Amino acid sequence: MSPQGILARCGMVTLILALLLPPFERAAGQWPIPEELLAPLSALNAEQLEFVSSGAALEFIPERQLEYELATRDADSLRSLVDDLMAVAAEMGYDPNRDMGATPLNLASKRFNKGKLPTPAPLRKLKRDAGPFSVHRYLFPTSGVPTFAGAKVAIWPEDLVAGKVDIAIIGIPSNASSGRRDARHGPNAMRATNTIAATDEQSLIEPHEILSVVDYGDFSVDWLSTELTVDHVTDMVAETAETGAIPMLVGGDTSMLYPGVKGIAKARGRGTFGLLQFNAHPDSERFGDHTVSDRQAMFLLLDEGIVNGSETVQVGLRGSALDLESLQWLRSQKVRYHTMAEIQQRGFDKVLTKVIREVERGPDAFFVSIDVSVIDPAEMIAAGRIAPNGLSIDEVTRAIRHVCAAKDIVGFEITDMAPMLDVSRLSVINANAVLNACLVGIAVRKAGLEPDYVHPLVLDHGQR
Amino acid sequence: MASDNVSWVRPIWNIEMKNVCFATAAALFVAATTVAMAADEPRHTPEHVIGEQAYPFASNDPREEDDKPPIELPDSVAPKLALLTPEEIEFLKSNDARAFTGPAEDTIEALNERTPEEVQAWVQAMQHVVNHNRYEEGRDTPNIRLNTESPKFNAWRLQRPRSMDPAREAGPIPLGRYDGKGGPPTFGRFPLALSTEDLVAGEVDVAILGAPLNMGSGWRDSGERATADLRLLGWPLAGLDQYVQIKPSEVLTIVDYGDVAVDNDNTERSMSHIRDIVREIAATGAVPMIVGGDHSLEYPNVAGLADVYGKEKVSVIHFDSHYDAWWGGNHLIGHGYPVYRLINEGHVRAEDYIQVGLRSGGPDKTGFKWMREKGMRYHNMAEVEAHGWDAVLDRVVAEASEEGRKLHISFDIDVLDPAFAVATGTPVPGGLTMREAIPIVRRLCAESNVVGFDLVELHPALDPTYKTTLNSTYIIKACLTGLAMNKEGLTEKHYLSPLSSEHAIDDYYGEQQQYLDATRAEEEKDKDEEKEPQE
Repeated sequence: MSPQGILARCGMVTLILALLLPPFERAAGQWPIPEELLAPLSALNAEQLEFVSSGAALEFIPERQLEYELATRDADSLRSLVDDLMAVAAEMGYDPNRDMGATPLNLASKRFNKGKLPTPAPLRKLKRDAGPFSVHRYLFPTSGVPTFAGAKVAIWPEDLVAGKVDIAIIGIPSNASSGRRDARHGPNAMRATNTIAATDEQSLIEPHEILSVVDYGDFSVDWLSTELTVDHVTDMVAETAETGAIPMLVGGDTSMLYPGVKGIAKARGRGTFGLLQFNAHPDSERFGDHTVSDRQAMFLLLDEGIVNGSETVQVGLRGSALDLESLQWLRSQKVRYHTMAEIQQRGFDKVLTKVIREVERGPDAFFVSIDVSVIDPAEMIAAGRIAPNGLSIDEVTRAIRHVCAAKDIVGFEITDMAPMLDVSRLSVINANAVLNACLVGIAVRKAGLEPDYVHPLVLDHGQR
Repeated sequence: MASDNVSWVRPIWNIEMKNVCFATAAALFVAATTVAMAADEPRHTPEHVIGEQAYPFASNDPREEDDKPPIELPDSVAPKLALLTPEEIEFLKSNDARAFTGPAEDTIEALNERTPEEVQAWVQAMQHVVNHNRYEEGRDTPNIRLNTESPKFNAWRLQRPRSMDPAREAGPIPLGRYDGKGGPPTFGRFPLALSTEDLVAGEVDVAILGAPLNMGSGWRDSGERATADLRLLGWPLAGLDQYVQIKPSEVLTIVDYGDVAVDNDNTERSMSHIRDIVREIAATGAVPMIVGGDHSLEYPNVAGLADVYGKEKVSVIHFDSHYDAWWGGNHLIGHGYPVYRLINEGHVRAEDYIQVGLRSGGPDKTGFKWMREKGMRYHNMAEVEAHGWDAVLDRVVAEASEEGRKLHISFDIDVLDPAFAVATGTPVPGGLTMREAIPIVRRLCAESNVVGFDLVELHPALDPTYKTTLNSTYIIKACLTGLAMNKEGLTEKHYLSPLSSEHAIDDYYGEQQQYLDATRAEEEKDKDEEKEPQE
């Protein structure tokens, strides 16, 4: 092979590496330039030299490639590369004379807040007494208007109070996943394929006999802005929690974890409950260019002190966002994280035991959240931000059921199930199974049973 | 087939055609010079929102302005109004209250059913809704703030300097080792271009740009999956068109211009960057062909063309089941707003808008009245139902080909019947068939002066087959074929190849001799062309 050919091939390899390897995060300061590469640097002027030796260039070009470029380029070509990188660096941050810092809205709109405004009582079309009501004509219906868990419907807080409602299941059909998007159809898909709150095959309890469950409808979202959705959802979750009902939230994408947990904190106080989260993604992005998104949900909750890091347990982490920096930050926040690597190394049961111990030692009250990406794609192909090598549906429901039975649950949220991505009903059925696991757990606790109670009739046929 | 719809007489290669060739060469030279000059110009347009600016145009919707007089209330209901303040009574008579109370007789009936206390609560609740629906300073946030502290604020749209990769000459880049084929999939297996230098050096005629925008959609899968699927199924784009016997890839230089960066958490932010990229393509003289994402794209596409060709100099033909001229919500862009916004900002005159295929639940009479008053040429499926497709087809092509028009085609695949394009965000039954859509797109691209094209709202996950992507691909191909015909001078009304459109063995249609003559004339001309020295 000709020398040019070899060079071209090296270039190609470097290029591929550059594409594969994310730039290594490095503390500001000096780049320890290998000694043999110091000579080419003499071609650079003081400003260019400072840019390279400070390590600032490594934000844009992998170290390996920069070393290669230093070793192989002539002076002119090296100068033009460094100039280009400096130009890119100058464009990276926000410049108020160049960049839009805030998206303007239509302030002349007559419908600026439309959709976020619950109808005031005097304008409601139908007069009725407060309390949950059935949507069915029959005493023992098998179909009809679909509701979560086949439950009665409640619309206003006074319905929840009058019905002494324990569980309000609520859709939040946001649709801004940073993966594939269809989570807005999650709530209605879960309503339409109702497998929630049937007789529990483990304890033989009937959830509807122990708990007053309602479908509390959907909370309104702004399709075009997560930012403009957050406050309304926070307020509505808080209003729901203040009635004494436990909000069980059905997303929607995982950005709604932020207003979901924040709303509970608004009703019960910041840092008064722990957070158990099942998620493939750490969602701890700190330097995002947006103020809220699924990638930032955990960061916002921890950063604003809505939950304490030491009372936060994350299970199932993996995926492309789980880099060195995010793990370092989670550790610095004292978050109890459990990656899939840990689960593969030690086995799920051992890790679950550890998770349960961490939850038991935490506050009395817990919020349980799951981004369905934590489940393996084999059983949850409709996860918006899918990541292979996840937990099985059995592992997830076992863990959630236990915790929901062992702790005082203040809220539950399942997010980012995008039904369009699954032509079968499997993902919806498994999403229902996850919600059902927590619902049954809460019922088991209310019935005064042990968290992992199994009815003797179920455990053994009793024949000799 | 009615013979007057088909032109089978191909113009003889003559001095006029040579002039066309010279004109094309001159245009390319001018375009190249324009690019060289454009490099020094400011990157952003005057309307580019910077910092925390408000929207720099009027944003109220005049269609919502309501000049109806307040209703009269008879003296008989006066006791019911006893607890109301004069302002509350005035509100109850105003049109703002009509949305809740209906016409005057309903209002009077509703008042009679209520006690004065109930009337007071009722009116105050209406005022609450009206007031809370409007923006209020201090209570509502006037904008969507971005995290300007982010050190990676612009990372999403930063472009990779050419100097980071091994040096190469400018021009289209073949990605495969077998005559350029066999590499990663590109649109139509065309070579890749990454910058305007590549477009100019390659004398590129058409640059196909993926735009994976999905924030503004109903169903949101028009992101990277749409542009990827169009590339995976790209091969039909390059092939021979049997109807007109033209292979676009032999007549035109076509490239895959990669995907434009989008921020799928903020449509507005994507708009200015997409507009920059469309502008840079158009400034080289190439036709930007934008494919993939949601119909918000029509706004930056047409605005980018207007930046190059001048405000109010570009006409738009909008294929869609929706009219997309909604306005008046809290947002200023979304997949229902691009038409209104383009007109509102003065990029396109309303009378230069032609719409084809509308049939969704809206607009209502107010919307249609507005379109008629503004002089927009709308051709709804109701017109097709009344007059038949062939009549509408000719009318549309005639309007679009009027002298002096520079035309952008915006093709929302939901104009097609869901039988042909089920994988779209907001499908509406009763749409065009592929046998209607292909000829109209081919004819428009051949017979009018097309300077831009987009195909939007493809959501592959909604179609477990590859049918919708296949049909989308053939719409793009129809335009490429038309553009190639235009470049070859085949711009007369509804040209079809006299050889492929009729076997001419008998005189079934009474036109046997004409077909045979036309075929012979084309053969003569092809021979003449072979004799001419190649460029």
